[in-house]
Amino acid sequence: MTKVANKSGKSGDMTAYSEVALRNNAAIVEYCRTAMAALSGCTAGVLGLSGLYGFGFYVLAVIGLWILLLMRAGSKWNRYFLNRKSLLTNNFIGGLCTYVLFWTFFYTMVHVY
Amino acid sequence: MGSTGFHKVVFIIGICFLVHAAVSAAQRKLTEQEFTSLSLDIVVQGILSLIACMYAIIYMAGDLKEIRATEELENKSWETLRNIPSYYIFSHRGRTLSPAYDPTSVGKSLIDE
Amino acid sequence: MAELLLDANIRGWVFLPIVVITFLVGVLRHYVSLLIGGSQKKANIEQVQDSQALLRARLLRENGKYLTRSAFQMRRYYFNDEEVGYFLTQKRTAPASNPMTDPSMMMDMLKGNLTNVLPMIVIGGWINWMFSGFVTTKVPFPLTLRFKPMLQRGIELVSLDPAWVSSASWYFLNVFGLRSIYALVLGENNAADQSRQFQDQMSGAAVQMSVDPKAAFKAEWEALELYQHQSVLSNIESEMDVLEG
Repeated sequence: MTKVANKSGKSGDMTAYSEVALRNNAAIVEYCRTAMAALSGCTAGVLGLSGLYGFGFYVLAVIGLWILLLMRAGSKWNRYFLNRKSLLTNNFIGGLCTYVLFWTFFYTMVHVY
Repeated sequence: MGSTGFHKVVFIIGICFLVHAAVSAAQRKLTEQEFTSLSLDIVVQGILSLIACMYAIIYMAGDLKEIRATEELENKSWETLRNIPSYYIFSHRGRTLSPAYDPTSVGKSLIDE
Repeated sequence: MAELLLDANIRGWVFLPIVVITFLVGVLRHYVSLLIGGSQKKANIEQVQDSQALLRARLLRENGKYLTRSAFQMRRYYFNDEEVGYFLTQKRTAPASNPMTDPSMMMDMLKGNLTNVLPMIVIGGWINWMFSGFVTTKVPFPLTLRFKPMLQRGIELVSLDPAWVSSASWYFLNVFGLRSIYALVLGENNAADQSRQFQDQMSGAAVQMSVDPKAAFKAEWEALELYQHQSVLSNIESEMDVLEG
């Protein structure tokens, strides 16, 4: 059951990565990201942030999630992820969509009516 | 680093606090005539509960897997090495020994046996 | 910005119902598609047989040099003999390349439409009819006039700030925003399904043959016919003797 994706390492030597594990990790990160977008959208709406403050809050939340993920992976993050930067930037826009929906929803519920 | 009951409790408490912050914000909005901005306690409560939720979500999402293929191989026994798909036999001659074998149903297309 | 005061009844009877309906329809659609679709495409037994036979023939060509001449001829006879060879006796019909003529393909397309497009139209139309003409909410960020037709469907007010959202547009916002939430709630099924298919592929049980088996058999038959058997182990005894010293 080890489908192997070969990617060249630093100095030309090959490192084999298990594709199943890669997929599993990506799915977990995706799960965290969606949950984070929804929850931070809720918070932003409750706090009544509007305009650029709201988008700034989203950026803060993304960075916060990144830090939390790295904290969980610990010092050996490269045992779980291929690189750290894609962990930060992946699916930024897709999360934003969810974020805006929840933000609007809670903003309306708390502040508009 | 598995998902534990502790993290679930943290998550539920975080959600409760977030909802509480939302309700109190809405009420403040209703009762106060001159509404300018939220009081500090609601803001702090909202942000703290968001952090608690995100922390719990990351642990609830599931376990990260080792992506290096060699790590996976270390836990394998010798039996799995013998599992070679190319050597699977789907029409074994031993099937004729089965009491349920019907020579007319299969094998017409195969060469004479 | 001119503040509008919205009736709280709009929240109770328009704003929240739209969210709930959209979400529940999404969940329902998921389960209906599970119900209709049943298990995903299964490879039928003929396809598996064909692909395994092709696989064997290919392996024989690649590794035949390790066999003795008679053993190789025996295997080639099984595949290529003019009277009883597997590739010549198997009569496979070419699969229907046109999806319109293949009833199962047609059915799949129909099911996909039924579960994806139809609810979208029906529910969208119903919501448009039922909740039309309400200003439901305001997005918490300023927008330019360009967004007016997008966010204020069903309300033709020139002077209204573009940040206000009409009920029909709120529905569409929900449809797009809730997609990733479905993945969160209904969750692991799609991820799990993918990985299961993946494992099937690895064990070779579901090597799908999308190509025409007849043509593939012909090609493989030709390749086997042309193969020149040259055993690499013919002198192995003497070579081993040399190694032994």
